[in-house]
Amino acid sequence: MKLLKVAKREYLDRVRKKSFLIATILGPVLMAGWILVPGLLMKNAPEGRAALAVVDLTGALYAGFEASLDDTLPDGSKMFVLRNAPATAEGLDGAKKELSAEVEAGAIEGYIVFPPDMVEKGTATYFGKKVSNIRTLERIENAINETVVAKRLSVQGLEYAKVTEMLKRVKVETVQVLKGGEKAGGFEQTFMTSFVFIMILYMTILLWGIAVQRSIIEEKNNRVIEVLLSSLKPFDLMAGKIAGVGAVGLTQYAIWGIFAVGISSYALASGQFAQFVSFEPVTIAFFVLFFVLGFLFYSTMFAGIGAICNTDQEAQQLQTPISMCLMVTFLIPLAVMQNPDGTFSTVLSLIPFFAPILMFMRINILMPPAWQIALSVAIMLASIYIAGVLSAKIFRVGILMYGKRPDLREVFKWLKRA
Amino acid sequence: MLELIGITKRYDGVTAVDSLSLLVEPGGIFGLLGPNGAGKTTTIRMIMGVIEPDEGEVRVFGEPFNERIKDSIGYLPEERGLYRKMKVLDHLVFLGEIKGVPAKVARARGRKWLERLDLGGWADKTIESLSKGMQQKVQFISTVLHEPKLVLLDEPFTGLDPINTESFKEIIEELQHDGRAVVLSTHVMEQVEKLCKRICLINKGRKILEGPLADIKMQFGRNVVTLRFSGDPAYLERHPGVERVGTFGQELTVTLAAGTDTNLFLRHALEGGKVEKFEIGEISLHDIFIAKVKSEGGEAKDEAAQGR
Repeated sequence: MKLLKVAKREYLDRVRKKSFLIATILGPVLMAGWILVPGLLMKNAPEGRAALAVVDLTGALYAGFEASLDDTLPDGSKMFVLRNAPATAEGLDGAKKELSAEVEAGAIEGYIVFPPDMVEKGTATYFGKKVSNIRTLERIENAINETVVAKRLSVQGLEYAKVTEMLKRVKVETVQVLKGGEKAGGFEQTFMTSFVFIMILYMTILLWGIAVQRSIIEEKNNRVIEVLLSSLKPFDLMAGKIAGVGAVGLTQYAIWGIFAVGISSYALASGQFAQFVSFEPVTIAFFVLFFVLGFLFYSTMFAGIGAICNTDQEAQQLQTPISMCLMVTFLIPLAVMQNPDGTFSTVLSLIPFFAPILMFMRINILMPPAWQIALSVAIMLASIYIAGVLSAKIFRVGILMYGKRPDLREVFKWLKRA
Repeated sequence: MLELIGITKRYDGVTAVDSLSLLVEPGGIFGLLGPNGAGKTTTIRMIMGVIEPDEGEVRVFGEPFNERIKDSIGYLPEERGLYRKMKVLDHLVFLGEIKGVPAKVARARGRKWLERLDLGGWADKTIESLSKGMQQKVQFISTVLHEPKLVLLDEPFTGLDPINTESFKEIIEELQHDGRAVVLSTHVMEQVEKLCKRICLINKGRKILEGPLADIKMQFGRNVVTLRFSGDPAYLERHPGVERVGTFGQELTVTLAAGTDTNLFLRHALEGGKVEKFEIGEISLHDIFIAKVKSEGGEAKDEAAQGR
């Protein structure tokens, strides 16, 4: 089969390229970085011991604050070393001057001023050199809050511990009801998984579809095309290219799959990000299925465009309406997410332009009836066939046209005649 | 071997090839000649099935054109093109494979050909690292790697140095053995004169001359006589076969009507004066080409004038 020879060449040519290796490896690294690094940074941000001074003008809160700010370092020692810096309202400016000098010299991390009316007004001020360490400030703020709230409660004769116990929020857990079982984790997880997957679907379909188009234009430009067409049918050339590029896409998925397994096992082990990365084999199966269908549909159209254009710039104009269809699909999911089995979602997920992403999305959120999936796949297959026949016709006539790009009227003429 | 039956191709109202009929027999090199824009490349592309004729039929090996016969044809397009990033031998294997040659066989043959064309050391280099001439050789190898029965070469010698031109000629001459046919399309006449047995001259998409090269030369060449003559040129014109007498420096160029016996003309000349030189001109294909194309162009103009 000559088609396979073309596919093989296209595949090997692309897989051996350094850029493929870089994109394939950098892709998941970036994605992993995107998901994991902020967490890791937050978790492992170096937090050392911090010496703080407190100017308590209320004269009644220091002890409570010190008790609240009881965070410890990993070695069990106290994270915050507090010092009471007594001062009067009149002597505050002088005291601040001294303490600021200490901050400048690095003797203390910072100091906090509790104004006399803090319990009523509810404001305090932190003075420090580094005011950007959010986690440290958060801890301090929480401790001050606790102290002040406890003070207010005790004025009313209430006990802080009891009140917080009473105010404890009710936690609602989400569990998705699935055929024959329950899926813990629920909707947040579903949303994240779906989002990551449709993002990848969208990007890879577009990327590899356009890769087919570019490679055809390139072959027109370096004139290899004539030798090829003297050896094989235009259809074999087109289909071979699509198959080869598609195989590259699947290879990339396979590599990413291995990465994903690695990352998720790490994530699961660390227990931090489990909800983002857990997914089921059936999801993967549908993901691959809809990538293949979507890629075949779109790349066939891109191939037709490639055949009638001489430069990438020219192709871009024609390619935009098609890319837009895919882009729009990427924007609809929120609506589908809210009502995955409504008429709107059902109809859209059967239209070939949107089906690859939307049907996959629906399967992910709320498994649609099997006949709908089957119908969607059948419509996709029929559309791929029609797009293939039309593109092959355009391909056959257009591929050897150099010079002026034919306008749409001419293209329709070819379709009628061929 | 190859038969064109009244093929016509039009582009946007311009007729690139106009009801052209041709017959190419196995064994021998067939020259397809014509000035630039005559329709040579369009004709070859139609033979290759790269484009389809609007009218007429192409028959190869006695059957209408179909995909299967592509494997038995070798085609060197005028516009050369190879994958720049591919390695030389891999490229040859790929082009062989899409002609139905198993990879192993293609690899072995590719190596042999590379050795023969002094490219043995370049098998694992990429195409883009080769010079233009070397790329041309690789492209040429790809045309014959699958041992086609019919070889179509569109301007095979452009861009080659004299040494490579000679080795190409040698190979092309070899190709015609074993009942193969070679169609050579070019506008460079010297090559055709040395290589081709039969030629077809086309201009503006139409055939204006076809036949064995020897016959064509006979028809054109034997009627121009150059002579140095002491007598009166006007005397020569009295011979019934003389069409025109021209003076070229010291010499006279006498154009004789087709079929005139040059011996009788010589006797006539001897009776009128002293003949110091008498040479029956071997007209070059180049001259025939120019004469024919020019007269065709003139005719075309006349037709246009009559039309108005």
